[in-house]
Amino acid sequence: MSIHIMYFGMLAEIAGQAEETMVADGNLTVGSFRNLILEKYPAMRERKFKVAVNQRILEDFVPIDMPAEIALLPPFAGG
Amino acid sequence: MEKTHKSKKVFVEGPISPDFISKSIASHQSKTGIGAHAIFLGQIRADQKEAGVVTGIEYTAYEEMANQAFQDIREAAFAKFELTCMHIYHSLGVVPTGEISLFVFVSSPHRRAAFEASEFVVEEIKANVPIFGKELIGEKGEYVWKENS
Repeated sequence: MSIHIMYFGMLAEIAGQAEETMVADGNLTVGSFRNLILEKYPAMRERKFKVAVNQRILEDFVPIDMPAEIALLPPFAGG
Repeated sequence: MEKTHKSKKVFVEGPISPDFISKSIASHQSKTGIGAHAIFLGQIRADQKEAGVVTGIEYTAYEEMANQAFQDIREAAFAKFELTCMHIYHSLGVVPTGEISLFVFVSSPHRRAAFEASEFVVEEIKANVPIFGKELIGEKGEYVWKENS
């Protein structure tokens, strides 16, 4: 199953790209997805971020429904 | 059935000009049920950072999600306060210090609702809209990422 991942702000800098597609098995939760990302990009361990699945911010225990567009959101700075 | 309010374009490229703001005010002269406008303007501050003085902020956003969040804030504000109309504009791209990056304009028959709605809308934007800011520092291309407190 492929998921479309979008990185914003400082997280895009760490990833070296604004988006990518990743292949994952069908039983991901937000938390297990977060762990995959932290394995791939260890520098993100020091950063706070929220995970939005199909534009909704979800807690780590929530399963990810496929197909998913997942966005990694650093702290907001609007205003 | 819940009243819905038309979604409006919020993001503008670069700073929001005082001319645009004055034209927005003028365009409400025909809405004579309004007795009070409240306007909030966010301006870029020249903060002193370790690396130097902030010269501007470069904004980016998760635009689709941000537009939905703005729409949700509009709906919530109309449900909560007695408002005649509401406009929100936020910059994307670079806004130099001293210039305006956020323009919230709420109008009501009476002042209380206008005051309260403007505060509500600004706080909601700061907390819930996925906008990101890079504070640009000095002349050498240094920066730090901004975080709302």
